[in-house]
Amino acid sequence: MNKRFNTFLFAFIGLSCGVIAVLPFVTSSEYTLRVATVIIFWIGMAGCWNITSGYTGYIDFGPVVYFGIGSYATAIAMTKYGISFFPAALLAGLASGLIAFPIGLTTLRLRGAYFAIATFAFAETMKQVVLEFDRTFGVSFFQGSHGITLPIGGHENTFFLYSFGLVTLCIILVQGRIENSKFGYGLKAIHEAEGSAEISGVNTTGVKLQAYMTSAIFLGILGGIQSYWITYITPADVFNVHKTVQMVIMTLLGGMGTFLGPVVGAAFLTLLSEILGTAFVEYYLIMVGAIIIAIILVMPRGIIGTLKEATGIRFF
Amino acid sequence: MAQLECVNIGKNFGALAALEGVSFQLHDQEILGLIGPNGAGKTTLFNCIIGLEKPTRGKVMFNGTNITGLKPHRICRLGLVKTSQIMEPFKALTVGENVLVGALYGGMLPMKKAFAETERILDFVGLTPEKDKLSSAISVPARRRLELARALATGAKVLLLDENMAGLNPHEIDDALRLLGKIRDLGKSLIVVEHIMRAVMGISDRIIVLNYGVKIAEGLPKDIATDNTVIEAYFGDKKSFLGRSERQISHG
Amino acid sequence: MDAVLIQSILNGFLLGGVYAAYSAGFSLIFGVMGVVNLAHGELIMLGAFTSYWLFELLGIDPYLSLPFGFVFLFVFGYVIQKFIINRVIELPHIMSYILTFGIHLMVANVALQIWTHDFRSITTSYSGANAAFAGLNIPYSRLSTFVLALIIIALLWLFLERTETGRAIRATAMDKEVARIMGVNIREIYAITFGLGAGVTGLAGASISPFEIISPEMGLQYTISAFCVVVLGGMGYMPGVLWGGFILGIAQSLAVTYLNAGISIAVTFLLLFVMLVVRPTGIVGKGLVA
Repeated sequence: MNKRFNTFLFAFIGLSCGVIAVLPFVTSSEYTLRVATVIIFWIGMAGCWNITSGYTGYIDFGPVVYFGIGSYATAIAMTKYGISFFPAALLAGLASGLIAFPIGLTTLRLRGAYFAIATFAFAETMKQVVLEFDRTFGVSFFQGSHGITLPIGGHENTFFLYSFGLVTLCIILVQGRIENSKFGYGLKAIHEAEGSAEISGVNTTGVKLQAYMTSAIFLGILGGIQSYWITYITPADVFNVHKTVQMVIMTLLGGMGTFLGPVVGAAFLTLLSEILGTAFVEYYLIMVGAIIIAIILVMPRGIIGTLKEATGIRFF
Repeated sequence: MAQLECVNIGKNFGALAALEGVSFQLHDQEILGLIGPNGAGKTTLFNCIIGLEKPTRGKVMFNGTNITGLKPHRICRLGLVKTSQIMEPFKALTVGENVLVGALYGGMLPMKKAFAETERILDFVGLTPEKDKLSSAISVPARRRLELARALATGAKVLLLDENMAGLNPHEIDDALRLLGKIRDLGKSLIVVEHIMRAVMGISDRIIVLNYGVKIAEGLPKDIATDNTVIEAYFGDKKSFLGRSERQISHG
Repeated sequence: MDAVLIQSILNGFLLGGVYAAYSAGFSLIFGVMGVVNLAHGELIMLGAFTSYWLFELLGIDPYLSLPFGFVFLFVFGYVIQKFIINRVIELPHIMSYILTFGIHLMVANVALQIWTHDFRSITTSYSGANAAFAGLNIPYSRLSTFVLALIIIALLWLFLERTETGRAIRATAMDKEVARIMGVNIREIYAITFGLGAGVTGLAGASISPFEIISPEMGLQYTISAFCVVVLGGMGYMPGVLWGGFILGIAQSLAVTYLNAGISIAVTFLLLFVMLVVRPTGIVGKGLVA
């Protein structure tokens, strides 16, 4: 099974690489490139949530905080310190990872809904902090609700397609490596019976923290790239709970704790919201709520999870 | 030097003293039976030994090292493992994968060796035919053996078995006893908690009896079976327990 | 003592009583069924809107229309538990709170569609009237709601202690299996409990309608406040909601008075986060941990 999965993983990565690389050359539509970029972006985001929550079952309701931290790290690095984009994006990952360490250490001791709410509370607190920091301390750093405008680099959509593509492929690779690795078994054991895992030798705190920080670092980088892409960020935007909702429902729909789940979920829902268009933004949230309810009641394993169970095939 | 030693273990849950001054030793390749009425503190004692609970007083020594208060996964890697009273397999994983977790994390074996060790242990406990079945889909005796298999895969020298034979019929109990004997022959030491008297009396080298968190007796099985304090703990006042001869009690 | 400080503490105290009232339902539901109701704020929102529409369309004074808030939300909660949440109640808990999260999204956004983003408020003849003594200002509406809040909590407590259904609910909370053996229909009790919790919450929502700003999006902040109150006081420990309510109310009031309004929200979150990490069982330590 190991061999079959590895073959599948590399085939999938190879194919994706190929598609992403040639896309700008086979289509002249900027719109298509943009949509493809958005899909890849969300596959990456959902994948990050899958790494933290999908495999362990620790439902994180605050992952957007690392996205926001990354956004601001890149924005400030580029505007205040004149750092160029690539190092600024990596800095974003570093910043998020550093903050994820103490936060993960403290919150991962909590179970179930407590963990969910604690992570959500932290995310909202961070949003408030970034909003009120300058005003409270009389400095000019985060710019509060004015937001930060990033330097425009004159890059086309292709640049961002490739940037997001690279990061997302890394995220997929990490998920791929989780399946069938010692780390993956540890995560699944924690999900199933954390007490048994601990007495069987699994350092549950360490394993959980590893997943949490890995996810945070990637979220930070995604945030950094995105802030450069849209060139203007505000706390309300980059720390928005809606992003968390998206990550959750995409992974839920696709299948938590599966390798293809976030891919399927993200692609499906992104296309759906594109099709429905901006006029239906309000309906979109109602639909998301309905889909969540439907999935939990009818298909808690998501599309891929249910497929795996039905067919007995376990390598995707 | 004893392999495992508990010195004066006390555990309070709020105002409730679940354990008080419990001391005993386990020697190399010994099978120690731990018995006592329900609520006597047997599971709490196990939890204190493997680190799921921290003793309020006293210490646990393993091969001369003080392991009191260490985290369970560290204690496991040092060589002490427990099976649960309430079986908690990793339900979404197969039988083989359950054992693999023990080999990877407890035994700290690299992937290839862990796979080989898993196969070997499944064969040892007789679960090879079930290897690819989901652990939620096997029979009760198989699940009990799975608990043992996972414990063995961690490479532990001392196994604490908490009612590993609960729910088995007499025939299955005999199989289980044979398996325990085989495990001891591998060089392991066991502490066995059981309510099935003939099982625990039959297999143990020595018995310890707990009641209300206190050790009330320790000795050879035949002596324990006729010990008045023990009989009183289980049945109340010996005189008031009608219809049972001493011989009946000692032979379970 | 400084008059500003006293006023601030008083405001916080009054606020606290109200917090306690609308958090009691949340604590009840968790204590009995282990369900963290992330749609809790929507129950408050619906309760407030019930009062609002009865006032707008039929001119009924919000303090008189309170029973409607209770009845409507009781039915709503009962139905949701019986036909939706009960279906996942035996599964791992994460299912139930992802489910209630979905319900939150649906209810809040359907309400948004129907009633739009507009903020609404109820203005009666007595709105804005204050009682004043010893240099302190106490708005009548807030005072009335405070008294109401205490009455609600007392009534809930009486129901749970003195009625047969209440005893069945408490038995189920203590030991589900034993209650089942004793003949309690667990699923029915769950539905009644959720209905009761929702009804009390709706009642509380209706009772704050005279002075709060009402909008379909108001729910989420109340869910967070309720969670904070309950964690402070101890999850599932009913008397704790009073502790939690007063602590949060006073902390927030002081923050608003001495810092600024924006910080007060951060105070809630910070308090919640710190509590969850340092002492998840609440101030008194009697809370259940998931």
